[in-house]
Amino acid sequence: MFSLYKKELQSFFFSPFAYILTALFMLIFSFSFIRSIAIMDSNVLKFSFPNIFYNNFFYFIFIIPILTMRSFADERRGGTEVLLLTSPLSVTKIVLAKFLSIITVFAVMMLASLFFPIFAAAKGQVMWSSLICAYLGFFLWGLVCIAVGMLLSSLTGNAIISAILGEIIMEGALLADNLGGTALVNAYPKLNSLISWISMQRRFIYFSQGMFRLEDLIFFLSAAAVVICWNIIAIEKRRWSHS
Amino acid sequence: MVEIKNLSKYYGRNQALKGIDFEIRDHEILGFLGPNGAGKSTTMNIIAGYLPSTGGTVIVNGFDITEQAAEAKKCIGYLPEIPPVYPDMRVEEYLHFVAGLKGVPKKERRAQVEKSMDRLRIADMRRRLIRNLSKGYKQRVGFAQALLGNPKILILDEPTVGLDPTQVMEVRNLILDLKKEHSVIFSSHILAEVSAVCERVVIINKGEIIAIDTIENLERNMMSDTVLNLTAEGDKEKITRLLKDIQGVIGITEVKQISENRNLFQIELESEKIRNEIMSVLMNNQCSIVEMSLAKLNLEQVFLKLTQTQKKSSLEQLIDETKKANPYDQEE
Repeated sequence: MFSLYKKELQSFFFSPFAYILTALFMLIFSFSFIRSIAIMDSNVLKFSFPNIFYNNFFYFIFIIPILTMRSFADERRGGTEVLLLTSPLSVTKIVLAKFLSIITVFAVMMLASLFFPIFAAAKGQVMWSSLICAYLGFFLWGLVCIAVGMLLSSLTGNAIISAILGEIIMEGALLADNLGGTALVNAYPKLNSLISWISMQRRFIYFSQGMFRLEDLIFFLSAAAVVICWNIIAIEKRRWSHS
Repeated sequence: MVEIKNLSKYYGRNQALKGIDFEIRDHEILGFLGPNGAGKSTTMNIIAGYLPSTGGTVIVNGFDITEQAAEAKKCIGYLPEIPPVYPDMRVEEYLHFVAGLKGVPKKERRAQVEKSMDRLRIADMRRRLIRNLSKGYKQRVGFAQALLGNPKILILDEPTVGLDPTQVMEVRNLILDLKKEHSVIFSSHILAEVSAVCERVVIINKGEIIAIDTIENLERNMMSDTVLNLTAEGDKEKITRLLKDIQGVIGITEVKQISENRNLFQIELESEKIRNEIMSVLMNNQCSIVEMSLAKLNLEQVFLKLTQTQKKSSLEQLIDETKKANPYDQEE
């Protein structure tokens, strides 16, 4: 399993792929960083990063499908899926190895973005509690997005289609909150509570206030686990109905 | 070494394998022969554990491929039809990765990778990106990958497709060499290749096994008692006339001139007893016999004879199927 993990990481870091994507991530971050400094009131004492994260979700989610789009689609297209599935590794281990490698790349991106809070802390004051929670929340949300992106890559077998579908789904999850606010949905309280339960934005508000709730942790981890299991089942199923 | 029992496979409603049985013995090279679409690749994919079967069992070295998949897969080296290589990796890097994937202990990896590169003669390509290699070299890298982890069984799906004649010879010699340490099953639709390398052949057509035997036996069984090849010296017309006059000769199917005074006659007889008479008639008329033998069908002919049990050829069937599928085409 470690061999596969290592190979996946190499495919990201021995090519310009991970670096370009990290650069894009940093670019988006720096734009909103500069913007939030520019619009800051003079009476604000501490710098709050969660707002930046919050504003940038819509851009960040374009990066994750690009990270995940090749994971299974390329294996299927290049015929290397046979190699993995005929190796002694189980499908579960294959999926996990790929998942962990993408998480590693994602974590590296987040580490790189720490430059901004450190810079801000050197020049002023930062609300650390909300910063740490925002990072945690963002990371957990990223896990779910990565799992979804991998599932789509495995289901569609086409990198571009999986990236586009991934963006639609992740954008949808973000906009669920707006949907929950409409009069139509408010008329049905049960539907409203369901939508707010899956809404990423509503959960992120707690993180941004420096609150780390066990409920959110369990929600994100179990959502990622469910999607990964789905992926494993989908691969097994395709083997059975292969044509 | 590998036992395949009553193996069947459905792709949707389409039955690709209809309950086939055979075994691969220790240290043997088993040829797997059949026309395109016969079920060769499906069978190999199932043995290698890539596809699950719909019914039946595959026991590899004592392990069931579905029940004890990891153990069974460790005994198998598989070279699929398209070599499973990553174009972005270097040859050596790729082989190291596969060795790790197959669970080769870290200490042995380097030695094993070196050994398999030497065997396939790709050691001087070790630093090259696989994407830049020719088809033949990609095939060899795929082959080298199958040898890693010292699997007891090698499954090679059309290993010589796309190679030039010298490379084909090299691969053949390699397969013969591998017999010492491994059992090999390899598929092909090229008959010369199978008869050059294999001891036993499994012939499959439309998901059914139509023959399992040694090459010699297959040829012997297909030997015809009633067709005689006769090479004789003398006037062609005269010999033809003489032969036709003998009672029991049904006809002369073919006459080939070999040299100025020598002709090869293919004669169809009522029974093989007439051979003596043919000999004495020719001797009495001063025609010397150079060679006389029973006509032997080569593997190619055996194969055609076995696979053409269906009334229609596969081409005709294909045309029929397309007609059924698009009835409007005809009207236009």
